Amino acid sequence: MADSVGFLGGRIPTEVEIMSKHLKDLDKELFRKILKVVVNAIEGKDCGGAMADIAQNSPLSEEMLSHIVSGMYELLKEALRLPTSSLKQEVFKEDLRGLRISEEFIADFASVVFGNRRSTLDNVVKQQGPRIPSLEEFRWRVDVAISTSSLARALQPSILMQLKLSDGNVHRFEVPVSKFQEIRYNVALILKEMNDLEKRSILKIQD
Amino acid sequence: MASIVKDTQSIREAVTYINAVDSSKFSRLLSRILQKLHLKGERSFSEDEEQKLQTALALEKQALHLVLETTSFLLEQAVYHNVKLPSLKQQLENIHVSPDKAEAFCQAWASAGPDMVEKIRQRIFAPKKLEHIGWQFNLQMARSSQAKLKAPHAVLDLGVQDEDKLECQQNIFVEFSHQELLEFYNKLEMIQAQLDSLT
Repeated sequence: MADSVGFLGGRIPTEVEIMSKHLKDLDKELFRKILKVVVNAIEGKDCGGAMADIAQNSPLSEEMLSHIVSGMYELLKEALRLPTSSLKQEVFKEDLRGLRISEEFIADFASVVFGNRRSTLDNVVKQQGPRIPSLEEFRWRVDVAISTSSLARALQPSILMQLKLSDGNVHRFEVPVSKFQEIRYNVALILKEMNDLEKRSILKIQD
Repeated sequence: MASIVKDTQSIREAVTYINAVDSSKFSRLLSRILQKLHLKGERSFSEDEEQKLQTALALEKQALHLVLETTSFLLEQAVYHNVKLPSLKQQLENIHVSPDKAEAFCQAWASAGPDMVEKIRQRIFAPKKLEHIGWQFNLQMARSSQAKLKAPHAVLDLGVQDEDKLECQQNIFVEFSHQELLEFYNKLEMIQAQLDSLT
């Protein structure tokens, strides 16, 4: 295993390397406190208060604390980038042993990356990526025009759609029946393409 | 069927002019007016064309306008009531349109009338209307925060046009995961079921 590249890549990130040195004399309770704050930060929660609290009540210098925090953050971020099918727990632990991190701390790191919070973390990470707005709410109405200024008996159905997107914008527009058929056909077509692709072996390759 | 047009002074005057016009010229006039009937805010003839028509039909400007407006009006009424051919003939006779001109009306109506009614039926009132649908199907492989993904994503591009600004189309882009797209499709199926229940 010594020759293979670990999950942190060919060159260990500086933050992680510096952190591993500082971890040697770190109290276990304090380590857990800091780790918890870092995990919260990855989940996007506000951690300013908790961090200030640790800084005031710990024997660590501000510099040491910031080295530890940024190292933990970097380490977790790199580990969370990889799906669990690709980064095995044993390999992860082995890589950390290579950095001479103690078994106790390794177990704590592993419980974040492979524990039951993982799915929450994955979801948060998914939300944070760049993306085109998604559909948050879809409302519709089917109308039948009975008569108009130019037709005594129109009896023409039409559809009013209202899309609320994740960027907060609301779009409201009329869809003639012929256009509705077009949109329905196209969505069905994409779904078929998706199904076909998922059946193909390209998605089954484990890497 | 109740009369679709009243025998008024103005109609009577217009009919006199119409009856005097050359039949084949009037047929062409009719089909042009019928073709453009569904276009809102557009005149059947341009200023230039109207001048030429004045000479061709040997009509004063005012008389020509009366002929054009009355012809449009008669056709609009025919569309409004979606009249049948025999009824149209009867109605025209009632306001003393000569048999050859009534025949011209009927021919024009038989060939283009039903299409025009359908076109006008399709013309729904809406400040915004879906005009264009495009899509792209992507397989997301990785992102800054996650590696080795294989997530199918679809992006729908919905081109919506403003009723009063036809040249400017607004494109709405929406991204869907497989699951999200499936949910969207299920809602479209609900709309389809509603449409099916109408017929």
